[in-house]
Amino acid sequence: MIYSKKSPALFIIGLFLLAWGFLNSSGSIDGMQVWLQKSAWSDHLKVKEKFDAELRVATEMATAENKPAPVMKMPASGFDKMKAGQAQLSYIIGGIFTVLGLLVLVLTPKEGNLDYYLGVAPGMAFIVAIAFAVRWGLDPVFANWGKAVQEAGILSWDFAHIFNLNYVVLGIVLGIVIVNVFKIPNWAANGVRTARFFLKTGVILLGVLYSAAELAQLGGLSVLMIGVFVLGSVGLVLFMGRRMNTGNSMTGILAAGVGVCGVSAAVAAAPVVQARAVEIAYTIGTILVWGVGCMFIFPTIGHLLGMGPVQFGAWAGTGILNSAQVAGAALAFDPQGIETLKVAEIFNITRVLFLPIIVVWLAAWYVKHEVGAEKVDLKQVLIAKFPLFVIGFLLMFILSSLGLFAPAGHYQGKYFGSEQIKEEQLLKGKETRALEAEITKMRNPAETQALKDLIANRKLTSREQDNTLKGVAKISGLDSLAKSSIEKASKVAWHTSKIISAFRDWIAWLFAIGLTGLGMQITVKALKQAGGKPLIIGGIVGTLKAVGSLIVVLLFVREFV
Amino acid sequence: MQTPSVLLLCHHGTEGAALAEQLAYDVARPGQTTIVHCLVVPELWAGMQGDDWLNNASTRDDFAQYVEKLLENDAKRELAVVEANCAERGLGYKAVVRFGDPAECVVAIAVGEKADLVVIGPPRAKAVLGLRSRMNLEHLVRDLVCPLLIASRR
Repeated sequence: MIYSKKSPALFIIGLFLLAWGFLNSSGSIDGMQVWLQKSAWSDHLKVKEKFDAELRVATEMATAENKPAPVMKMPASGFDKMKAGQAQLSYIIGGIFTVLGLLVLVLTPKEGNLDYYLGVAPGMAFIVAIAFAVRWGLDPVFANWGKAVQEAGILSWDFAHIFNLNYVVLGIVLGIVIVNVFKIPNWAANGVRTARFFLKTGVILLGVLYSAAELAQLGGLSVLMIGVFVLGSVGLVLFMGRRMNTGNSMTGILAAGVGVCGVSAAVAAAPVVQARAVEIAYTIGTILVWGVGCMFIFPTIGHLLGMGPVQFGAWAGTGILNSAQVAGAALAFDPQGIETLKVAEIFNITRVLFLPIIVVWLAAWYVKHEVGAEKVDLKQVLIAKFPLFVIGFLLMFILSSLGLFAPAGHYQGKYFGSEQIKEEQLLKGKETRALEAEITKMRNPAETQALKDLIANRKLTSREQDNTLKGVAKISGLDSLAKSSIEKASKVAWHTSKIISAFRDWIAWLFAIGLTGLGMQITVKALKQAGGKPLIIGGIVGTLKAVGSLIVVLLFVREFV
Repeated sequence: MQTPSVLLLCHHGTEGAALAEQLAYDVARPGQTTIVHCLVVPELWAGMQGDDWLNNASTRDDFAQYVEKLLENDAKRELAVVEANCAERGLGYKAVVRFGDPAECVVAIAVGEKADLVVIGPPRAKAVLGLRSRMNLEHLVRDLVCPLLIASRR
């Protein structure tokens, strides 16, 4: 079979990215970037103001000493770094796509690996280009609109913020719109399916970001929560299915989908419980409707309840039926950092590790209850359903723990109690004085103590203190210097090495690209199949799971690990 | 009414399709009419792996093969039943199976098979469960090049 299709699309995408890189590095589109990236431009103005003042003082001093005016270079601002980042990524990715696009046009396709890879490259480029356009274009546009609408008094709230209209949600929504309204172009059809590759690579690389303590604590928490809620919801669906006479195969596939990890579990369990075609359609439709709905609702509730990354990650990882939307909701909740994603993905991994066990359970259950059911080889099922990418995740975790990517001291949270913070990173006198002036604004003894400790030590000493002061920084009317001092202390404590930061950027990109591509797999035709008893059972069990896990998280999960 | 030489029967095993089948037998004449049995596997099945991304490729392949086999078996069963009924009534029979949008497929098959008449079942009542893959009647009426007969539910 020949996979590659003669089309200039890949070549054109490559050229477009190269042009974008050039326009950024040459400064030709600075006007547009200033409008798009308002906070980065604001940072640029501050850096420039500071630089101009330093240059003026240095020049005056040099003039007084009869020396030539000093030559000083303005440090790179957030705006400069943003432009350089976009240019660099556009050059690298655009260059690769251009070369591959030329090969697609020039080579005569023959069956084989080269044809296969050239066949998927245009589709990969399609989702990558959309993810770039969303993150660099749509995301800031919506953020600006949200603020503009609020400032104009049309709404009293920022709709882009409240509805989490960031690059992750917008990418998924755009993917859904493309597949259902415009259709995926023929030349991109093969490659769009590689969205899974981006997501699995993202999870594997995520292994680099955990410390052993984090993994142990999050792993323990996730096994406990997933164990209770997965086994509980599978058991409840089996019970309700029998009571409502939905049929054994329908009940079996629904139990897997609603109980474990959504569509993935339904796909794994369908052949084992010998589900009928219409039952598969009902189940997958029901799960997708729930998953997509939860992806929008969960982050908004999380913000309204003031949840932090650990609480929200644990809730989304347990309460959202479908695994793809767990990642989507986590990034929608916390698009700038990936702390929430880190927590949520541990829960996702735990769910998928439960999957082979649940499938075996359902296979045994089905054989017991269905007359004439074919017996399945349980051992083979257990092996075949084991998620191989989890091994990659663990391998990356082991390699990073051995210090392959960065010294152990560079991992997050290392600097709370150590003496390794340099003098220049500690809070300055004017900063501690600004904090002292705000002590009266503290709302409870814990906040007062946390602030006093920060003033005394000039740095944070524990995660609890960091979390408390994060709340303090949000107090309205707090002096801006005091607020920035708290943020500075937090940043110093959470110091991360450059290579780990690079991993974070890449992981965010991989998930953004992967989720955009997965959005293109969600068809309205599949969503419309939701209905009947599966929708009733799925609705009841899904709601119980979401509400139950929310209560457990709010009551028992502390906002740090 | 003229006796159709080629009658395109849209039949995919639903209650409505059974009504269409009965109407087709009423209209057809033994020895004169060939029933072209049009069975469309709706394109909603293309999205039926949803956004699964956690499974290994082998699990997804197993699922795809399993669903294909289910759809194939369902189709074979429907085709066999209608073929036997046609044989019993002395009618010619030909099966055409397509994957895609039902209305688009029917229009294309009607042209390809030079159908004189197309017979379809009534739309499913709203309360009745089943796959949500309705025939786009407007598309069908607008683009068909031969008469269309819709069976009554009563």
